[in-house]
Amino acid sequence: MRTPEINRKRFELARRCVYVVIALAVIIPYFFNPKQEFKPMAEVVSVYEKIDAMKPGDQVLMAFDYDPSSEAELYPMSMALLRHCFKKGVIPVIVTHWFAGLGLFEKACNEAAEDANSMWGKKIVSGRDYALLGFRPGWTDLIVKIERDLKGAYETDYFKQPTRGMKALEGVNSLEDFELMIDLAAGATVEFWIAYGTDKSGTPMAAGTTAVSAPDLYPFYKSGQMIGFMGGLRGAADYEKLLKIPDRGERGMLAQSAAHIIIILLVLGANVHMFAKRLFGNKRD
Amino acid sequence: MFLKRTLPLLIVFTIGSLAFVHDFIPHPLSGEFRSEMASWMMIIGGFGMFLGVYSLMHMHITRIRQKMAGWGYSVFVFIGAVGMIATGVYGDIVGVSKDDIDLFDWGYKYIQVPCGATIFSILAFFVASAAFRTFRAKNMAAGLLLGAAVIVMFGRVPICEAVGGWVFNDRQAIVNVANAIMNYPNLAVKRGLLLGIGLAAIAQSVRVLFGVERTYLGGAD
Repeated sequence: MRTPEINRKRFELARRCVYVVIALAVIIPYFFNPKQEFKPMAEVVSVYEKIDAMKPGDQVLMAFDYDPSSEAELYPMSMALLRHCFKKGVIPVIVTHWFAGLGLFEKACNEAAEDANSMWGKKIVSGRDYALLGFRPGWTDLIVKIERDLKGAYETDYFKQPTRGMKALEGVNSLEDFELMIDLAAGATVEFWIAYGTDKSGTPMAAGTTAVSAPDLYPFYKSGQMIGFMGGLRGAADYEKLLKIPDRGERGMLAQSAAHIIIILLVLGANVHMFAKRLFGNKRD
Repeated sequence: MFLKRTLPLLIVFTIGSLAFVHDFIPHPLSGEFRSEMASWMMIIGGFGMFLGVYSLMHMHITRIRQKMAGWGYSVFVFIGAVGMIATGVYGDIVGVSKDDIDLFDWGYKYIQVPCGATIFSILAFFVASAAFRTFRAKNMAAGLLLGAAVIVMFGRVPICEAVGGWVFNDRQAIVNVANAIMNYPNLAVKRGLLLGIGLAAIAQSVRVLFGVERTYLGGAD
């Protein structure tokens, strides 16, 4: 007969083994960089095609609604979208409900601008080629305000430059003046943007979320309220593949494959053990 | 009584009703009213942040004073908050030249970003451990859930396309099954949940609007 103390020790040992195996599965693939063949998902392709069909000077409203805790999944998406916009001459206008992410968004804009300079020889300037408007409180009320009066909600941008007269915001007064709205969200803001923003203004909308939130977006995608979305690191990898600029998304796919396979094997193994115990009747436990 | 109960209820009913009907009134005044309300709410939201900070600080001061379990972690809340506020205000008032290290940026890049990412990444370990210990096909429903989870997990990583090609001679075979699970059973459940949440939100809003739900006034009735 096993005592509770032995069971507790077995449980602790199993847990530590799982942790070590997962850590190895995630870390080791980063030392390799094999070319992986995969077909981008349809919901990502439609977002890519929408931006790719835009004319230089068109404006896209991007809400980066995340902070450092979701950086691993949503930052690669931000980079891919910004690079695509800069490549096409499309102007991203960035707002956020999450003030803790502002440093990341500034970094993303700077990195994408440097890439545009090195890859396509384009000199990207804040206020002309993109606008980082920053944070304002209010959640749904901020969306309502943007839907009606963007420059009223943001009288200055993140760098304290006045938005009235800003080249990047020429011809833009409210949400309906944008060609597309994209929300990269770590929380529930996608639903807010749909309900209070894009459904009213009629602006096409897309989204990017962490993998765990991606299933929540299917009703909006299938009803046509969103043109497409990116789910988790795979969504970022799909976009990078379409853009033909591999980065953290594609590089992370091997680690993600390894981690998923390990988890599947662990779950299946535990179930085989359970059925074996049932069949062969180990009554000592 | 009038100031504590009747007046707040009247304000809630009036503003709530106006916010509700403005969408059905196609007049510029109606739009301007909503836009003005949104501005007010954003200002109130700003003050709400102060309230949140005060509440957080109060909770952690209490933990430190009473030496509650894990009170040492609360000290780090104050170290982090004071450090970031001080460096941020200093950088804004005095200014930091491009050659100097901006301590606020340094703290953000090298402390907040890695710490935030670390906390989130720990989730992978908990998910793996919890799935291994608890995900059992003990009955038909649990078996179906397990099967769907395995297919979707596998169908969402690139290696499944190679496996699909070897086993089924179709690289998209497993992906298509995973997509079908997401597009039909998942979609149906999510729609049901959204409709339920929406109806509950309408019911709760009506209760608040007509003063049936009054807990926001501070009492339990």
